[in-house]
Amino acid sequence: MAEELVLDTAIRDWVLIPLSVVMVLIGVLRYFVSKLMRTTQLPDAKVIKEGQVIIRARNLRGAANFIPAKAFRARKMYYTNEENGLLHVPKDQATNPQAAMFSDPNMAMDMMKKNLSMIIPQTLTFAWVNFFFSGFVAAKIPFPLTQRFRSMLQNGIDLSTVDVSYVSSRSWYFLNLFGLRGLFSLILGEENATDDTQRMMQMSGFGFDPSKSLGAEKDGLGIVQHDWVLPKFEQRAEAVLRKRLS
Amino acid sequence: MAGQDDSGKKSNENEVPTFNAENLQSNMKVVYYSRTFMSIIGGVIAGILGFTGLMGFVVYVLVMAITSVCLTAKAGFSIRSYFDSWNRVLLDGFLGGALSFVLFWTFAYDIVHIF
Repeated sequence: MAEELVLDTAIRDWVLIPLSVVMVLIGVLRYFVSKLMRTTQLPDAKVIKEGQVIIRARNLRGAANFIPAKAFRARKMYYTNEENGLLHVPKDQATNPQAAMFSDPNMAMDMMKKNLSMIIPQTLTFAWVNFFFSGFVAAKIPFPLTQRFRSMLQNGIDLSTVDVSYVSSRSWYFLNLFGLRGLFSLILGEENATDDTQRMMQMSGFGFDPSKSLGAEKDGLGIVQHDWVLPKFEQRAEAVLRKRLS
Repeated sequence: MAGQDDSGKKSNENEVPTFNAENLQSNMKVVYYSRTFMSIIGGVIAGILGFTGLMGFVVYVLVMAITSVCLTAKAGFSIRSYFDSWNRVLLDGFLGGALSFVLFWTFAYDIVHIF
């Protein structure tokens, strides 16, 4: 192990602390900017309706065992009926979401705004860190690491003799980028914490087709095994009420 | 430590457990916040006290264990009425907090001890 490096206190005062503070502040700023730029999209009535139907069907599936068999059958019929069941989608009526996306420029615009509000601050901060703070040994991790972490932690310092636990300023930036997520979720509320992952979800689920999930829900409802769990609840209710009266 | 809305629902006398999904989710959110908070605080404490190496991770595990115990106490030692399994209280968010812990540990350690 190499001998201890002596780091100048000026590095702490002018690199480590400012960098961390700026990262936090930029995170907060990003949150509010994206909140300002968020447009409230007027939802499509049909989409909302289908979503509500799916939620109702899911509730029925979840609570199927708490209603009598007859009641469950009636509800199931109401949803999965082949002619006019709520979950039944006629073949020709299925809309193509890809086409809907192209016909609606607002949607693409919204996506772009969201992405920009994420990418631009990150690029700017990275450039800023690179410009002002490149080449500093800014921190030391209090636990030993293997050589493999050198490229990760000493990004920007080209010295192979420095102990791996020393962190360059650029890598400190990356550590902050990932590690501050928990702090943001505390100070900004849950929206921010899930923001990035939700964005990913939106990206991947872009070709989301409501008619498909209607069909899936229909199938799910079809295979539910009904098993009533409250066969004696009338007697029990009677007993409880009698106890109240007496 | 935990929020006020620990309002799970459980049918008494009934053998079939029923859960209110929203309340369960809210409880899990409380657990997540407590864990994040505790991991940040624990990181700062470990850094200020100058723990290095394995000792720091021992502190992390200790802090998480304390959090679990506190959450259990907050739930009145009847986890079943607030969560659907013990893992929700004992393990959820354990790895998620580690990153925050390491960051704040490093930060506090560097500020106090390195320079």
